Amino acid sequence: MSIQHHPDIATLMSFSAGTLDHPYATVIATHLAMSEGGRETLRQIESIGGALLAEEPATAMSSGALNRLMDALGGEKIEVIPHDQRGGGSLPLPVQDYLPGGLEAVRWKWTGPGVATADLAWGDDGKSRLMLLRVAGGRRVPEHGHGGHELTLILQGAYRDRFGVFARGDIADHDEDVEHQPIAEPGEDCICLVAVDAKLTFRGRLMRALQPLFGI
Amino acid sequence: MYAVVMTNSEMGLPPIPPDMEDPAALMLRIAQQQDRSALAALFGLFGPRVKSMMIKLGASDALAEDLVQETFLTVWRKAALYSNQRGAPSTWIFTIARNLRIDQLRRQSNKPYEDLEKVTLASDSPTGSMLVEQHQVVDRVTRALTTLSEDQREVVRLSFIQDMAHAQIAEHLGIPLGTVKSRLRLAYERLRPMLEDLQ
Repeated sequence: MSIQHHPDIATLMSFSAGTLDHPYATVIATHLAMSEGGRETLRQIESIGGALLAEEPATAMSSGALNRLMDALGGEKIEVIPHDQRGGGSLPLPVQDYLPGGLEAVRWKWTGPGVATADLAWGDDGKSRLMLLRVAGGRRVPEHGHGGHELTLILQGAYRDRFGVFARGDIADHDEDVEHQPIAEPGEDCICLVAVDAKLTFRGRLMRALQPLFGI
Repeated sequence: MYAVVMTNSEMGLPPIPPDMEDPAALMLRIAQQQDRSALAALFGLFGPRVKSMMIKLGASDALAEDLVQETFLTVWRKAALYSNQRGAPSTWIFTIARNLRIDQLRRQSNKPYEDLEKVTLASDSPTGSMLVEQHQVVDRVTRALTTLSEDQREVVRLSFIQDMAHAQIAEHLGIPLGTVKSRLRLAYERLRPMLEDLQ
């Protein structure tokens, strides 16, 4: 099935500029690994960086700089084109290192009826998190607003909210002012790769009470 | 509203001087013949610009020089992987320098970018346009950037050259985050006809 939901173009521009925090860059790279159309758009955006570099003013290099470069070439091997890097698993390359045993080996933490999460360690800077969210078929994620930017990439299954149906490869790119209540489509568990830059704010009183306990 | 494609002379700008080497032709000589003099020429064209970019981000002169060296060693090392699917040489050099600044100046992993490059190389077929056309293409994008409003141009520069996250740009300019994003979206919509023409 082709991808229906793409990242905000501003998010892709930020990815291209290299200014996203690591969890967000990982989610975008994983999405793009699943989306040839997305890679095409990224290629277009990258020429903005190229054009800006070309018009940068020149700062003189030190006098020995060229010799230094030429001397360094001696030991440098030319790389060859890699073989297919998608690997044996069904997971895209940018997320494989986080899930060495695949989705089957994830140690889930119960966070609500039919809902579980798992934090992916990435060298946390305390500002943003990379995590997995699993919602059993037919279950709903508690209604929540966003304390900040949230990127959600579907790795397996599908969910539905007021923005439509999100299936494998689709990405939901939500600003802090968006509120929504995703419901997993009937059938297999919906598993998402999520980057968040602040604690999600759940609206229900019960969930608000549970939030500090479960750290969601 | 969209900018139209114009030649340099139509825009009253000087044509590319004939003695200036076309970066795309240089890149091709590096990739196909491992031509060191072509790398030296490319270094002469873009090294000082990469250095300027790194110094703007707070790198010392010595660190900026090191990052330029590292950038061009990577250009050499990966030359065989270079194809026109990477876009113009300036675009490719920008992405290499960007990956280095993520790693060395932001001190974050650039692995998402490295992984994505591998996927792209393994999966995507090269685009149709000839490598040698790419220089003119960058030229067109450069002209197109001048058609952005001052507000749009500023947020694009702060993002791509000054390496500022959207929230930092918002703080720097004293405008809401949503305004930063909407300016970027408008800038993209305006550049889009040129960018799509690249393919």
